[in-house]
Amino acid sequence: MTKQPFDRRIATGLDRGEAFTFSFDGKPVEAYPGESVAAALIAHGRRKFRDTLKREMPRGLYCGMGVCWECIMVIDGRAAVRACMTQAEPGMKVETQHGLGPPATMTGAP
Amino acid sequence: MNNADLAIVGAGPTGLSAALVAPRAGLKVWIFDDNALPGGQYFRQLPKQYRKTQKTVYDKEHGRAAELFTAIHHPNVTYLPNATVWENPDPGILAFAAGERSGRIEAKAILIACGASDRPVPFPGWTLPGVVTAGGLQNLVKGARVVPGERAVVAGNGPLLMVVAANLIRAGAEVAAVAEAAPAKARLWRNLPRLLHAPEIVKLAVNYRGLMAKAGAPYRCGETVIEARGGDELEEVVLAPIDTRGHIDRAKARTVACDTLVAGFGLNPSIEMYRLLGCEVTYNSYRGGWMPKRSEDLETSIPGIFAAGDGAGIGGVEFALIEGKLAGTVIARNLGALGERDAAIQAAPLRSRLERFRKFRVGLERVYAPPATWTELMTEDTVVCRCEDVSLGEVREREAQGFTSAFAIKGSTRMSMGRCQGRNCLPTLAALIAARDGVAVEQVDLPRGRPPARLVTIGDLLQEDLPAPVFPADPHLPRGEEVT
Repeated sequence: MTKQPFDRRIATGLDRGEAFTFSFDGKPVEAYPGESVAAALIAHGRRKFRDTLKREMPRGLYCGMGVCWECIMVIDGRAAVRACMTQAEPGMKVETQHGLGPPATMTGAP
Repeated sequence: MNNADLAIVGAGPTGLSAALVAPRAGLKVWIFDDNALPGGQYFRQLPKQYRKTQKTVYDKEHGRAAELFTAIHHPNVTYLPNATVWENPDPGILAFAAGERSGRIEAKAILIACGASDRPVPFPGWTLPGVVTAGGLQNLVKGARVVPGERAVVAGNGPLLMVVAANLIRAGAEVAAVAEAAPAKARLWRNLPRLLHAPEIVKLAVNYRGLMAKAGAPYRCGETVIEARGGDELEEVVLAPIDTRGHIDRAKARTVACDTLVAGFGLNPSIEMYRLLGCEVTYNSYRGGWMPKRSEDLETSIPGIFAAGDGAGIGGVEFALIEGKLAGTVIARNLGALGERDAAIQAAPLRSRLERFRKFRVGLERVYAPPATWTELMTEDTVVCRCEDVSLGEVREREAQGFTSAFAIKGSTRMSMGRCQGRNCLPTLAALIAARDGVAVEQVDLPRGRPPARLVTIGDLLQEDLPAPVFPADPHLPRGEEVT
């Protein structure tokens, strides 16, 4: 018997419904309805979500509960959105945040 | 202005338990929660769109969770998800940001049930993608049924490490090492009689250990992570023996390759609400650090403001569920919705159950008592404030220039002034000052808590339906020529 390839999504006892895709830095990532952007990226094997302004250090999901703001990304043109608290949507445009994000994204609330 | 008898901040085990009791007694209750679904961390729910096709090990709390969730449907309850309480503009009034529903509420009583988050313990490489907290791992599993990698190291301090290891193993991941900093095994037998006050929890721990043994996941006590290494992502961690005083034997370090490090150093109560409201706090390292001072009735130093659950001192979910109910009962009595006698009858079994778990807690705290300090883990290059990218070296440099108080370090380095509003770095700042000055952490003067307690957008605040401000007569204008 061959070993099953490792799946970061636990499949047992769960029907996640129909998968859809959103874009991460221009490439498609699969997600399920209700899944957070962070969970979908991590299930896809992507861990680096941004790099920091001052020391340009890579960062990703850390606290996973909205406390630390480490997982912020540029989502649909808005900078500093927490990937762990944002539901993935079909067609969403998710980008790695470099520093503060592109100047054009710093427009305040939608 | 909205009005309520009771405003509950947090819809986790504590807040929901209180909301099972107080509205039934007739109180008009508002619940604010910053998540999309009720449950907090422990009872975190899967997306509503997911369908369960069979019962699994993840459903063992389904019954208790389902009962708790009924609380938000009571006709006396207004439940606001995705809502952030951020300011206390006047006594008894809370301001909250919740998109179009943003506003203020005047409440006769307030229950702070904000729970806890992972204790931040900086070590070299702890900011690398692939390093997650124990709470973060639990949330991925509970809220998405996702695990972050296939070869993990679990390290830190406390019983949650076993839960995390078990969850990784169940998901099919390899757990290369579990490093518990405390000499927990050596302390176990002496404390077993206390632990057996909660045999149901001891049984859980035995199950976790069995699962770990079967999977070949080595559980080592008296060992800590000292470094995480990698380029853009985690590639390996370095573990080393640590003694009870926090001294690390670096000569005996070993390196373990892995794609995931779950770092769980215990939990800290979320104290930002108490800081905002001005409640007196006290320090207890065994129960997570700072916590509000409380009366037997769970009332803080400010009359009418109550604190319960992990946010008032780490006790775990059983504590939270009982304290929530007790708080709901006491508040209903104080506001006249429940008679003295009825309240006493309802509170008595809760108090005795609390007493039983308190005895268990003492055993647990003795088994897992952490090293005296974690500051030895940090090097000059270690990031101590993630939001503002401040290293220990920068703090030391400012200290050498005379910026020595917590307030001066904050002001000169921006440590604790970033997006997390200090929630993820104030404990580190206090620990550094305490270690430097050779004083207890509780003697360190924290910078003042200021609004917003949690980050909110100006856009949310613009949604607030407030009366137009009344400006004082402008002294710079000639009398009678006020601008309207």
